[in-house]
Amino acid sequence: MNRVVLTGFGVVSSIGVGAEEFAAGLRAGRSGARPISLFDTTGFEHANGCEVVGFDPSPWLRVFEPSMVGRASQFSIAAARMAVADAGLDEAELAHKRGLVTVGTTDGEAFDLDWLVETEVNEGPEKMDEAASRRVPAHLLSMAIARELKLANVSAYTIATACSAGNYSIGDGFDAVRSGEVEFALCGGADAMCRKTFAGFYRLGTIAPEFCQPFDADRLGILTGEGAGVLVLESLESAQARGARIYAEILGYGLNCDAYHQVAPNQSSIGRCMKLALDDAGVKPHEVDLISAHGTGTKANDITETRAIREVYGDQPPRTISVKSMLGHTMGAASALGTIACALAITHGFVPPTINHRSTDPECQIDCVPNESVPADLNVVQNNGLAFGGNNASVILGKFVEGETR
Amino acid sequence: MSAPAFAAVRPVITAWSAVSPFGIGHQSYVDGVHAGRSTAAPLDKQQWAGPDEQAHLVPSFTNKEVLGRKGTRSMDRVTGLAVSTIGQVLHDAEGNRVVETGADSALVLGTTMGSVQSVMDFTRDSFTGELPFHVDPARMPNSVMNCAAGQCAIWHQLQGPNTTLAGGGTAGLLAMDYARRLLNHNRARKVLVGAAEEYSPARAWLHRHSGGATVLGEGCAVLLVEPLAHVEAGREPLAEVLAIQSRCYLEGDPRAALEASVRSALSSADVQPGDVWAAVGSAAGAKGEDERATLRAIFGDSTVDRVPAAELGDTGAASSALQIATVLSVAERDAEAAGKLALVSAVDPHGTVACALLRLAG
Repeated sequence: MNRVVLTGFGVVSSIGVGAEEFAAGLRAGRSGARPISLFDTTGFEHANGCEVVGFDPSPWLRVFEPSMVGRASQFSIAAARMAVADAGLDEAELAHKRGLVTVGTTDGEAFDLDWLVETEVNEGPEKMDEAASRRVPAHLLSMAIARELKLANVSAYTIATACSAGNYSIGDGFDAVRSGEVEFALCGGADAMCRKTFAGFYRLGTIAPEFCQPFDADRLGILTGEGAGVLVLESLESAQARGARIYAEILGYGLNCDAYHQVAPNQSSIGRCMKLALDDAGVKPHEVDLISAHGTGTKANDITETRAIREVYGDQPPRTISVKSMLGHTMGAASALGTIACALAITHGFVPPTINHRSTDPECQIDCVPNESVPADLNVVQNNGLAFGGNNASVILGKFVEGETR
Repeated sequence: MSAPAFAAVRPVITAWSAVSPFGIGHQSYVDGVHAGRSTAAPLDKQQWAGPDEQAHLVPSFTNKEVLGRKGTRSMDRVTGLAVSTIGQVLHDAEGNRVVETGADSALVLGTTMGSVQSVMDFTRDSFTGELPFHVDPARMPNSVMNCAAGQCAIWHQLQGPNTTLAGGGTAGLLAMDYARRLLNHNRARKVLVGAAEEYSPARAWLHRHSGGATVLGEGCAVLLVEPLAHVEAGREPLAEVLAIQSRCYLEGDPRAALEASVRSALSSADVQPGDVWAAVGSAAGAKGEDERATLRAIFGDSTVDRVPAAELGDTGAASSALQIATVLSVAERDAEAAGKLALVSAVDPHGTVACALLRLAG
């Protein structure tokens, strides 16, 4: 089977656009939190979120007019186009190769559905906007990439496993490239901030008033975020043949389902998912240098996830960080951005911090690398994605060293 | 590209069921296909306030009636369709559990966007309530597209990979391709593969505003897929999945992409168009006409007319999963089908095509 490597990243996030800016943001511990401007927040006592401010889709669109694609699809197109360029690939050349395009999402174009509902409420369902109605099917997040990049010889679909969808998508691409059934895969995740999800989490009492503090004793919940992360996956052979820069190698992944509760996380099932990933990667727990946790900053997630980590890794687990402290919860993009963050950490030799941290919750017994990034030589890194529906997905990345085999 | 150094499994379908406008369960579907009746019916406008006068609904389907009161209070329709269809696959006609599930059992469920009715209902409360967060927390999971798959896992103890695949009209075949990959890489021992679409006023309005001209239908079909080498005792293969192909069409016309997909599926299985006994399209409306014209050009009329059209309306994501069920329904009662090849295709109006080549058992 092929070894599968990551050679290009596209990032749209609240702390930076593009792999370079994103890496700088992670290293600096930048915060994307700010008052939400994308929808009317009147009536909420607090409404911070991690928006992508000032995003202009037009430079990224060549086939579509901006009005033809929703905000999440605009993010996914921009991230895909960036990722292909970052990988040093020519779009025209890519069109000749067999490929897979899968973007993960939680809400698809729910940002459009928000205002379709608003129109319905104020003016009646007859008045709902036609262009917006055409934008909302969830597979368009991936189709839009294929159409913009003129990729005809690809399978294109969206993986809608909520907040672990990015990792699900990366795992799918890994298998497809590993077996040689495709020559490349564009995988990742995208979501646009929406009122629906904010109102839902707010009602559940899980929106933090100001910022997100994963693993902190005084954490108050999530901040909703948005953005996209797209990764170029190809075989090691293909990357070497064209002299591409290799960020990291995908060593394996694991997927499972709690089959327990739609919302509450399940410790033993999350532990089983991590074990599946380690086994698939052929990696022993003590070989893992860093875990990028799902780490939402809610009471329940952080306790359950860190306990599951200790169940798998024992009493001295690897450093465990949450990039959601910086990015907020970007939903379907979250684990894609998390995996990109892990690969950038390997490439650039640092551990991204968990920011906004004061004192670690005694019930979350991990070193979350508070507030300041630290230099580190990372060989194996794990990225977790957990979701509503009990959809867990962990991805394991390894440093790629020329001439060494795993 | 180096050849894969692993032995791909031979995925076989060993059981299936459907909840469709033909009714609930395998037998209703087989009977419906053979009766060849249309299932369109006038809508009760009290219950279905929306733009449509008629639709193809699952007759008198409510979650409470079919699944009972327990656990269905906040369940939406598409979740009920999927949970009940899988229940049908896992149990025999007497209600005995005949398929074991657990950590090795995966689910791949195709969709367009989950229950858009649930999303819009949940959001509406935020606009109409006294305060914008006066939404129903019990229904928040319904507003996320993986709700149905997650509930299926809980109801039926499916603890393997649990994938919601949004693919619109091609979702059923793409889900099958995804399932094949899970089996090839040993991520599950068996996979429930299917797709579901509910009828709802919200879907009907969006369809109308998007220029959709088809009469909407709903339903769910789920197939149990296992590696041929590991079919569990008590089950026999009904068909082998020989090849699945998918492509995108970048302009408005799907025909060239569909033809390329079909030819590529045939050549990967090393067969000629003349070897194929039945070819069935899945799309409704104008795209469906393009689809059938393409199949006729490749296979000829007798192959395309072999399987009667199942008049289920535009069942969206469920369409191609239901069409596999249609082919298997015909094979079940036609001795001539044994060992023959059948091709099921699908065209999504937004830009993807797909096809699956099956060898019917016998």
